[in-house]
Amino acid sequence: MFKRVVLFVFAALLLVGLVAGCGGGKKAIQIKGSDTMVNLGQAWAEEYMKLNPEVSLAVTGGGSGTGIAALLNKTTDLAMSSRDIEKKELEQASKLGLDPQEIIVAYDGISVVVSPKNPVNKLTIKQLSDVFSGKITNWQELGGPDKKIVVLSRDRNSGTHVFFAEHVVKLGDSKNPNEFGQAVLMMPSNQAIVEEVSGNTAAIGYVGLGYMCDKLKSIAVAKDESSPYLIPCIKSVANKTYPIARSLQLYTDKETSQAVKDFIAFILSDAGQKVVLKMDFVPLAK
Amino acid sequence: MTKLTTQSEVIIVVEEQIKRMQAKNINAWFYDKQALQNINLDIYDKKVTAIIGPSGCGKSTFIRNLNRLHETVPGARVSGTILLDGENILQGSYDAVALRRKVGMVFQKPTPFPTMSIYDNVTAGLKLYGRQSKSDLDLLVEKSLKRAALWEEVKDILDKPGISLSGGQQQRLCIARALTIEPEVILLDEPCSALDPISTSKIEELIHELKHKYTIVIVTHNMQQAARVADYTAFFLMGELVEFDQTSKIFTAPTDKRTEDYITGRFG
Amino acid sequence: MTRMKNRFLEKIIEAAIFLSGIVAVLIVVLIFIFLFKESFSFFVKENMLAVLLGRNWYPISDPPQFGFLPLMMGSLFVTMGAIVIAVPFGLAAALYISEVAPAWLKDILKTGIELLAAIPSIVLGFIGIVVLAPLIKNFFHLGSGLTALAGSIMLAFMAMPTIVSIIEDAITSVPRSYKQGALALGATHWQTIRRVIIPAAFPGIIAAVMLGIGRVIGETMAVLMITGNAAIMPTTLLQPVRTLTATIAAEMGEVIRGSSHYYSLFGIGLILFIITFVINLIADLVLHRRRING
Repeated sequence: MFKRVVLFVFAALLLVGLVAGCGGGKKAIQIKGSDTMVNLGQAWAEEYMKLNPEVSLAVTGGGSGTGIAALLNKTTDLAMSSRDIEKKELEQASKLGLDPQEIIVAYDGISVVVSPKNPVNKLTIKQLSDVFSGKITNWQELGGPDKKIVVLSRDRNSGTHVFFAEHVVKLGDSKNPNEFGQAVLMMPSNQAIVEEVSGNTAAIGYVGLGYMCDKLKSIAVAKDESSPYLIPCIKSVANKTYPIARSLQLYTDKETSQAVKDFIAFILSDAGQKVVLKMDFVPLAK
Repeated sequence: MTKLTTQSEVIIVVEEQIKRMQAKNINAWFYDKQALQNINLDIYDKKVTAIIGPSGCGKSTFIRNLNRLHETVPGARVSGTILLDGENILQGSYDAVALRRKVGMVFQKPTPFPTMSIYDNVTAGLKLYGRQSKSDLDLLVEKSLKRAALWEEVKDILDKPGISLSGGQQQRLCIARALTIEPEVILLDEPCSALDPISTSKIEELIHELKHKYTIVIVTHNMQQAARVADYTAFFLMGELVEFDQTSKIFTAPTDKRTEDYITGRFG
Repeated sequence: MTRMKNRFLEKIIEAAIFLSGIVAVLIVVLIFIFLFKESFSFFVKENMLAVLLGRNWYPISDPPQFGFLPLMMGSLFVTMGAIVIAVPFGLAAALYISEVAPAWLKDILKTGIELLAAIPSIVLGFIGIVVLAPLIKNFFHLGSGLTALAGSIMLAFMAMPTIVSIIEDAITSVPRSYKQGALALGATHWQTIRRVIIPAAFPGIIAAVMLGIGRVIGETMAVLMITGNAAIMPTTLLQPVRTLTATIAAEMGEVIRGSSHYYSLFGIGLILFIITFVINLIADLVLHRRRING
């Protein structure tokens, strides 16, 4: 009997020690949301934890909507989002007694990409809209070879999809009836688009600036025929001349902890913006 | 004339018999276990040969070699010669499928095909060799079922499943099925052991009828049955052939002590 | 004293077993109720018939269009394609294993096929996108190899282990006496298989097909990666398709909670649930009938 009691006490002590070792001392900040931003968030977290070893940060993806939903459910402190928060989500937030605050933390340019073997080099937004909505179906109409265009898009779980639909397919007008064409292939990841475009000379797709590589060729894009054709790069996105660029943001509740506020301050600081550049996104203008 | 044993010589003197099948030096195994040891046995034309012996004595294994069904079981091997019309059926070049059309078989447990009607069961063997006209088939079905003494009982329900019949009827259906392919030899492997006495006597009557046209080998552990139906009887014990003779002689004056012990019920 | 204690213990074990059984059933019922509740208002608001027969899937447009038909057709094409490929191969493999292969090879083949079941579907999807899609593209001279056919082939691989092992079971459980009966009538090995063994094993084959369909229609990762996910009304296997499962997987992450789009995804879930439930039920009935007859 005595033996058992000792064993029990020992086990209980061990358990308490474990819990204290993990949870105690460190403040864990949860960050969740956009898949486009997940690597960026991870890089910030690593950099920040190097400087502040007592803080613990956990970064997860899942999509912008997942992040915002988690913010509303109070399972995350910060939501990463590559799109603006929707009216419906704001209504839900106020019902739950939350007041989400938007902090723009970086910019992202979306590259329209083709195979390097494809002779087409430049397109206008209008032409892109026609291609992605299925009105133009042959490369010949764009000055290329007589080949059917294979159009690739990110799937609807991606903030990039939403942004591209609004700013390219609908030409920046949400009332515009244009839609992604039914035959557009919906790819589950940026990597899948890279894979398909690099191996298919008839394919066209779009990826975030961070996913550009030698296997792809960026198309130079112009707002309209009279505007200059621009390749997306840090400079053209930062000075807002490249037409398919967007802001990346974090959302947090107004009543958040000091630890979260400190982390946001770090992100907006020079050190935080250096990380943005390193991850191939575009830092905020000074 | 081939070399004959003394027993055969006696027989040849009594009635002039044609040897339909001759088994010579048959040894058979399942994996490492030897099931038959050096069996020499002649099967006479248009006679009933019974094979008796206690369970596990190799009698089923022996007749399953007469149509080469033995070899279809995993781990089974055989050596020796079995002559049918002068040809060795055990040699690899002999077509086992053709053999089984000449040597039909009926099993201990009635085995009508479960997914087929009575009619289709009877014609199953024929259909394997190609199409025949419906009227020809109808005639053959009637003829076979009549010969198997089943026609009167099933003539109105030919489209019912074969497995809906009683055990005795199923067994006669299997006999009809075997007869349809016009075999020369019919092997019966304990055909009555799963049947009631009335069905048994029907099958025994049938055997009497069939022996005018066919050579029959019947395995049975029922000695009365052997005495009733068989012209010749072979006694197997532990994989060996102990004695083979005319049935009357085996049951009245066996030469081997073990045979006498068995038929008088001292073991087995 | 010990007796009482034993009795008490027995009661506890009985209760625990009963509870686990009940919990399993309860969870299924709860899932169904949950799906039904979440999608009910959607089906009412959007007009069920319009949803089920709608040909356009534009859930995040304004106004949104929730046509399930292309998605259901997508699932149907991919599933039927997979079954048409997997069943003949599965049947042949099962026949070879149970009827033809020597004992040593039998064990190797069975293990191999079971290993196939252990490959994560995302790995097969990856192989599909890197190897299979380019092959299909070049063979059929298509714009892109990301088609229903690519999904069907990949899913056929996934359904194969289920199909082979159930058919093999069914064939092995055909009594040896049927086979011997056919051989004794002078049937060749192949005739025996075709005329006796396959008919006798038929309910098992049907059950295998049904469970194979159940396995395939619920598969997500591989189809998401290699079918192209375009919500068009397919007319051939050489077109891209968007399946029910891929739609849920691709859109759940970004959907706005509480929107019609959100509830439409539960509606798709409900439809998938009903389809797999019915398929499993049929398979169960077929198998059960065999047991009674056998």
